[in-house]
Amino acid sequence: MLKLGVFELTDCGGCALNILFLYEKLFDIIKFYEIKEFHMASSFKEHDHLDVAIITGTVSCQRDLELLKRVRNNSNYVIALGTCATHGDVQGSVEGSIREKLEKVYGSRANPMKALDSKPIVEYVAVDYALPGCPYDKDEVYQVLMDIAKGVEPPKKDYPVCIECKLNEYECVLIKRGIPCLGPITLGGCNAICVKSKVGCIGCRGPLPKEANPASEFEILKELGYDEEYIRKKFKTFARGELRW
Amino acid sequence: MIILRYVKLPSENFEEFFNSLKQWGEINAPVKQGNIYSFKKVDSLKEVSLDYTRTMLPPKKFFVKPRDELLKLKEGKWEESNGTKPVVLFGVHSCDIHGLQILDKVYLDEPVDIYYKKRRENSIIIGISCMPDEYCFCKSLGTDFAMTGFDLFLHELPDGYLVRVGSVKGHEIVWANEGVFEPISEEDLKYFREFEEKRANSFKRSLNKEGLADMLDLAFESPVWKKYEKICLGCGNCNMVCPTCRCYEVCDLWVNAYEGVRVRRYDSCFMESHGLVAGGHNFRPTRLDRFRHRYYCKSYFDPSAGFNCVGCGRCDEFCPAKIEHVKVLDEVREALK
Ligand code: SF4
Ligand code: SF4
Ligand code: SF4
Ligand code: SF4
Repeated sequence: MLKLGVFELTDCGGCALNILFLYEKLFDIIKFYEIKEFHMASSFKEHDHLDVAIITGTVSCQRDLELLKRVRNNSNYVIALGTCATHGDVQGSVEGSIREKLEKVYGSRANPMKALDSKPIVEYVAVDYALPGCPYDKDEVYQVLMDIAKGVEPPKKDYPVCIECKLNEYECVLIKRGIPCLGPITLGGCNAICVKSKVGCIGCRGPLPKEANPASEFEILKELGYDEEYIRKKFKTFARGELRW
Repeated sequence: MIILRYVKLPSENFEEFFNSLKQWGEINAPVKQGNIYSFKKVDSLKEVSLDYTRTMLPPKKFFVKPRDELLKLKEGKWEESNGTKPVVLFGVHSCDIHGLQILDKVYLDEPVDIYYKKRRENSIIIGISCMPDEYCFCKSLGTDFAMTGFDLFLHELPDGYLVRVGSVKGHEIVWANEGVFEPISEEDLKYFREFEEKRANSFKRSLNKEGLADMLDLAFESPVWKKYEKICLGCGNCNMVCPTCRCYEVCDLWVNAYEGVRVRRYDSCFMESHGLVAGGHNFRPTRLDRFRHRYYCKSYFDPSAGFNCVGCGRCDEFCPAKIEHVKVLDEVREALK
């Protein structure tokens, strides 16, 4: 039996909940894993050394940071789950320093909760596997956990959303309908679920590592008539300033 | 060698002929879906878009499926998971027939791909004549007319189709339906020739094949590749839609705690892992390498095997960056001067 913990930092809770949405497949997982902490599933908690830790959310306060460090130091294999953990997501994309934001919202620069600028966990600790998605496809986390349970290093995806879009034979909404779609520069794995519903990819899985070409995507959207500010905002919604052009 | 036979299928018998094909297998034909065409299972002739330009995915998808479950892991043993049913591909254009013949060389040569072979043997290909649109350049590659690779080929006539029979199975289909066919007349042949001539004059693009392999040899460092590296998104759409791309990825997925499946899916040489080998070395680490590589693969890779492009125009139609295959090669050639 492997020891598993699921930890949430600051997030909407969706990524942790999505694990529970595996429903009957959860029984496959508990054949191999003993759950030591997962507050959305159980009040049971046992501090222990973990074989696998899943961490969701951004580091947005001192408590997050301390929890993150404790988990990293006590776990063999850490999975950053969801775009908050891997790229910072919407929270990370809000511009300005934490003190400025506090002043804007509360009228004071005081910071009693020790809030920090929201950042993905990968900026503080090294992780063994990063699985983005807002939320990720639940089968992905299933495959990753099963691979680890069987002693297989889970493969890392290296393709953009367009690949799965074509495998499913969806009509390309960018080319054929002029809908802004970030599929060409966004990491795949979602099975192009947005294009399935005839909406463009909004980039929720963050940029395709290494070879994304946001500059060209920017030109394509501009040519379709979208203004620069709109495109700029679209690019940074989930991935902070990572898509520069 | 099949003795060529030409027969005529009058318009009034077209539907009867179409329906008779059901006894040979499940009919799949081009169907309009939104703003694209797709080969889909059809029950009646009226669902078929006979005047389609090109389907987004080529007919390759029946032989190498976009996602293909090859094996099942059950009780610790791998089992074949493929059943093959006979299919009739109705309305295949000449370029795609050539595309399949290029794939045959890859998948049917030793070592034979058993999945591909089984499906290929279980298929009937019925070609249909077409008019080029702004993307087509098959004529310049000699793939605008199919002499082999089909069972029947239908050429449009004002009052029906001139049908070329291209295989033993094709003859069998004609024999089984003698009643719906007529002998062809001089006039039909005349129209057929006129149609082909009109078609030949309608091409707007052509690829200059002359010395292409040598040209590419000299152009490895061409600034044109560098220019396009900046425009190309590396999205792989061009590979996914290409009738001659043959690369695939195989991966194992868990179905439950003890059972799994081995699935293969189309891969693209624009992906990072495509050129990755043991030890972490990558043959094509940058987008520049990958962009250039596709052109070499399509036009040159193995000169003895001929071109790996049939001029279907899919890579142009479905490239989000509007990169044009012929234009890139023309520019590369131009830059050498
Ligand atoms: S719809 Fe979007 S994801 Fe799909 S192929 Fe077009 S650009 Fe790529
Ligand atoms: S390279 Fe382009 S034009 Fe040539 S066969 Fe492939 S998709 Fe068609
Ligand atoms: S190497 Fe690239 S261009 Fe050549 S067949 Fe494979 S995917 Fe297609
Ligand atoms: S479809 Fe166009 S942008 Fe995408 S990889 Fe191919 S050439 Fe590049």
